[in-house]
Amino acid sequence: MSRNSTTDHFVSAEFGPINGGRPVYLTSKSPSVPNLNETFTEDFKKRLSPERAQSQLNTTSVAEESTNVSLIDLYGGEEDDDEELEQAARNSDVPRSSTNSASADSPRRPSVGKDLSEYDRYGFKKHNAHVSQEEYHEWWDEYSRYCIRRKRKWQDLLEKSGLGSDNDVPDRFPPRSEKLKRYVRKGIPAEWRGQAWWHFARGQEKLNKNKGLYDQLLTNFNERNDKSSGRDLEVIERDLHRTFPENIHFQRQPTDNEEPLMIQSLRRVLLAFSVYNPKIGYCQSMNFLAGLLLLFLDEEKTFWMLVIITSRYLPGVHNVNLEGVNVDQGVLMLCVKEYLPEFWHRIVSKQQSRNNEFLYKLPPITLCTASWFMSCFVGIVPIETTLRIWDCLFYEESHILFKVSLSILRICEQELGIARQNHRVLRNKAPSKDDEDIEIFQVLQTVPKKLLDPQNIFDRIIFKRRISLNNLNQEEIDRCRKYVTSQRLKLKNYADIMGNRPSATGGAKRDLTMGPEFVENALSSEVYGFRRSLTAAHWNNSIKEKVRQIRRK
Amino acid sequence: MLQFKLVLLGDSSVGKSSIVHRFVKDSFDEFRESTIGAAFLSQTVKLEKHQDVTIKFEIWDTAGQERYKSLAPMYYRNANAALIVYDVTQPGSLVKAQSWVEELKHKVGDQDLVICLVGNKLDLCEADSSVRQVEIDDAQTYAQEQHLLFHEVSAKTGAGIAKIFQEMGEKVYERKTAESAASAATQPRKTLNVELQRPSTNDSTSCCA
Repeated sequence: MSRNSTTDHFVSAEFGPINGGRPVYLTSKSPSVPNLNETFTEDFKKRLSPERAQSQLNTTSVAEESTNVSLIDLYGGEEDDDEELEQAARNSDVPRSSTNSASADSPRRPSVGKDLSEYDRYGFKKHNAHVSQEEYHEWWDEYSRYCIRRKRKWQDLLEKSGLGSDNDVPDRFPPRSEKLKRYVRKGIPAEWRGQAWWHFARGQEKLNKNKGLYDQLLTNFNERNDKSSGRDLEVIERDLHRTFPENIHFQRQPTDNEEPLMIQSLRRVLLAFSVYNPKIGYCQSMNFLAGLLLLFLDEEKTFWMLVIITSRYLPGVHNVNLEGVNVDQGVLMLCVKEYLPEFWHRIVSKQQSRNNEFLYKLPPITLCTASWFMSCFVGIVPIETTLRIWDCLFYEESHILFKVSLSILRICEQELGIARQNHRVLRNKAPSKDDEDIEIFQVLQTVPKKLLDPQNIFDRIIFKRRISLNNLNQEEIDRCRKYVTSQRLKLKNYADIMGNRPSATGGAKRDLTMGPEFVENALSSEVYGFRRSLTAAHWNNSIKEKVRQIRRK
Repeated sequence: MLQFKLVLLGDSSVGKSSIVHRFVKDSFDEFRESTIGAAFLSQTVKLEKHQDVTIKFEIWDTAGQERYKSLAPMYYRNANAALIVYDVTQPGSLVKAQSWVEELKHKVGDQDLVICLVGNKLDLCEADSSVRQVEIDDAQTYAQEQHLLFHEVSAKTGAGIAKIFQEMGEKVYERKTAESAASAATQPRKTLNVELQRPSTNDSTSCCA
């Protein structure tokens, strides 16, 4: 296949400009990430089978295509790669100009006027204000090797399970097991992520129950010219170009007449969702969830994954009143109190800590941690770390988000310890509560952005054997969420009755028999108790080992 | 150095984060990621009117979408200044800005808070005057009625940005010094220091150090 024909095909046919009178929202539900790979890997593309090139050309298909091309070769940004990439960028320009003859008078610049070696395999910028070029390369050199090792392990695992797939993306995975969980925790191969997430989140089940609904939603939207979702429409529109503006797939190239395909897909997914679930409509942060999904899955699947994330993993978090996110922050605060007691005392006063009031009047740091949950860490931590979190999320559900949060807070705590010592030395006195809040907030804001290496939180904190976080499982989180929900309701009613805030419902009558002491006692008597093992996880592990031995017999 | 808390409010996509970034880092990105939750930045300002006075703004940048409004009280608690931003090409955003003014006056009281109303994206009007949807006179009249500071700016070109922070800084500083003077007149002198540097009450180690 010649370079020209492939690129022609890409530009004119499959993802061609939307004209021909078709409604904007019903054009090809195109899968995603073709452009960059086209330019990025012109050379590798030749190795793609023709069918593949015509079907789903996303990030994944390129790298997955041949395993003897290592990830480092493809994306490492080593010196010879740069040359290759530049060459690819130049080549890609040729067919592009010839196909866009309609606007031939506009100046022809290379479609990507950027140094492509600055972008990673997903189209994100490798380095930024928080991660320097040197840091990135030093880390990637190591981590890309790790990824290749892990992929081989996965291939072996699939083969042993009779699911070997001739280097293709597997569409089936082995049944759930401790071993598979361990594999997921160590990272799913990037090229397989879309399929794996879809599989583990049971996306197909959801889609099968609702066949055709996605298209239906878009058709309805077009026909109705919906007014009720007009507000959502407006906010969505404003956020489209504010979703990964640094990612090459979301950027309009100087030569493009049409907006990027990614942006078009993103618009359709978010619009369809706002019609599908009016209780949520559109909430800022969902643009990042859908945006990341689109890099790995096609539009319809992205839509259903968004439905699954917002209902199963983050219930109520994106609702109009954001109550779900407040509940989760309450849960996180209880976890901090339990697992990071020293840090806890720095963020909440003794008095607040005593009577659960912090579940209702959340401490200021939750302004920061709330965004961790709303966007599932997209944009909070560097991309490879985000992806590892998502791997676990779809396999192990939402408790992983709390574990990740706790690990990040732990890292921040260490950082703060150092900062505080410096502060003491410099000022010779302790900072005020306000100063301290700000100091903590600043650390919480910047430290996660530097967590380039996923191992820093995965191997070294979350899944370290001797750490008590092991007890924090999904069951515990679900129980805790229920507790916080009911406590917040009680505290809200209490606040309404006491007139601390204007009663929202007007239904809450002032009950004189319920004095403040009465209520406070009632509330504080219901303290949440975490399940604890007999002080040590060692004990747990030895039991596990015994059980294993018994099973073997 | 005197520190003041400043909170940015306004509809989504009016350019709150861009204004802060122009002020703090003197940079501008055409497309900036939507702010989720909150962001915190700080910057010092040397006051022109008061020689040798430098103040530090602790700036809380917030998410603009309506539903995030429920989180807002956490931001504007104890704030000294509020920058309420609208987009001169979006009339709806001025309405949103006015509702923020109402909310702040209702919940915080304008005695304690210096409020500045800012119309952003002035550069768009300079390129093509037909895109302007909010007349400067209308906004200015409203600001005068409500006793707010008012400016039209462009985060993109930087026009007017330094000026708003300079003016707010002066105003906040003058209020603070007037307050201190008033309290010094009625109370023993010591309280001035106490107010500015509150000692931590629950930290036992600091006493021994």
